[in-house]
Amino acid sequence: MTRLVRAELAKLRTTRLVYGVAAAMAAFAILTVVANVTAAGDQGNPPLSADSLVPLVGGPVTLLAGAALLLGILGMAGEFRHQTITQTFLATPNRGWVVAAKLVVLPLAGVAVTLTTLAVTTAVAVGWLTAKGVTPSLLDANLGRVLAGALLAAAMFALLGVGVGALFRNQVAALVGTLVWVVVVEGLVVSLLNAPSLTKWLPSAAAAAITNPGGAHLSQWGGVLVAAVYGLVLALVGTRFVVRRDIT
Amino acid sequence: MPVITIEGLTKRFGAVVAVDGLSFEVDKGTVTGFLGPNGAGKTTTLRMLLGLVAPTAGTARIDGRPYRELAEPVRHVGAALEASSFHPGRTARNHLRVIATAAGLPLSRADEVLTQVGLAEAASRRVGGFSLGMRQRLGLATALLGDPAVLVLDEPANGLDPEGIHWLRGFLRHLADQGRTVLVSSHGLAEVAQTVDQVVIIAKGRLVTQSTLADLTARTDRLVRVRTPQAAALQPLLADQGIHAELTAADRLTAVDTTAEAVGRAAAGAGVVIHEMTTEHSNLEEVFLELTANQGGRS
Repeated sequence: MTRLVRAELAKLRTTRLVYGVAAAMAAFAILTVVANVTAAGDQGNPPLSADSLVPLVGGPVTLLAGAALLLGILGMAGEFRHQTITQTFLATPNRGWVVAAKLVVLPLAGVAVTLTTLAVTTAVAVGWLTAKGVTPSLLDANLGRVLAGALLAAAMFALLGVGVGALFRNQVAALVGTLVWVVVVEGLVVSLLNAPSLTKWLPSAAAAAITNPGGAHLSQWGGVLVAAVYGLVLALVGTRFVVRRDIT
Repeated sequence: MPVITIEGLTKRFGAVVAVDGLSFEVDKGTVTGFLGPNGAGKTTTLRMLLGLVAPTAGTARIDGRPYRELAEPVRHVGAALEASSFHPGRTARNHLRVIATAAGLPLSRADEVLTQVGLAEAASRRVGGFSLGMRQRLGLATALLGDPAVLVLDEPANGLDPEGIHWLRGFLRHLADQGRTVLVSSHGLAEVAQTVDQVVIIAKGRLVTQSTLADLTARTDRLVRVRTPQAAALQPLLADQGIHAELTAADRLTAVDTTAEAVGRAAAGAGVVIHEMTTEHSNLEEVFLELTANQGGRS
């Protein structure tokens, strides 16, 4: 298993996917900071203050979760897309171990991308706020909560991505399937049932609770646990019924 | 002692029977050509042998065990399948290092096998920019990574230019001289004829023949081409002698699996005039085409 985890890490290090996603996320996050700082104080936006740091840093968190989901899907289904899965399964005929290694490594990749982006965002935000004469505190408890939520969300969304990738094998189908679920199916179920106490257990709602806990959502750790269960069940079902199919 | 044992191997894809009750063995230290036209079921057979495709029936074993049960598969069996299974954004060296890592091999093996296949200079280049011939070489390098005693190569000659094919022949011979067992598939006999000891020929998923190359070659010297104004009359006369002959033109026929002496005797006995008779050393490729074309048993 150590070998497999190292091999999965090597796969990620040797293509541009993770670097590309990290660069795109960092660029987007900086743009968000720029947009929010320049808009502060205008048209009813609150002026900059020591409390501005948390919303600035927390801005791209949802998108980062999406990026982690994408990494999970591409890390799993991408091997089928590029047919590298043939070599992977020749080296490791036990396909379950391969999926298990991806369940370990891709959440790490999601966390790494999120960490990088948040570090860049925080540095830019703190620098800018300081230049504007506002002194934000890095010891703000809310900041810690946002950062922890973002990292946990990245890990869980990447886990879900691996599960979805294993279930579909085809990366386009996996991406479309995820979109359809999040945008159409789950939304429909939520509005039809109209029972928040039940629908908060659905995958997107549970995953959303990690960064936005309480209220209609589960608690943060509840969200983490439920998302992990969804990810693992998807991966298990995918491995049992889809990944084991013929590699032709 | 057989290294590879295929027994009653069958694969159905829906209504299509890709491989149909195939059985053959590959002996230790031999180079075996696994031949058949495109669509004969070669790739499916090799993928079943390597545990990538699950057989509908039958077994495929390497040293008595299914591939999936080998303790260290990459050190035991080297496989080169189609030339497209590389991530285009990964360099050749990194492609090999990823597999070496998964197989617990030293990373230095990557550069060693790249040198062996003549790709050392392209080690740091992304595979996306590789020619088909370079991909084939990288595939062979991948197969050699674990220094395996058994090699399974699917159409390694595909996409190679004449120089590349020449190189491949020498390379396969070199591997065989090292005592490795090689199973190499090809849709043509010419690419591998100078390299293989044994041939397994399949068509439509079934075994046509398994023999030594020498036996196959022996079947090539037996074509007798005859030019005679009485070609139509000679054909049944030859048939009476048990010699199969086909009319190729009004005044020409080709007798199969016989000698000029036998045809001459039959013609003289019936007073048939012969204008010309040549013993054809038909090449192996023709024998191969004939063997695979005649496999019309199933529609």
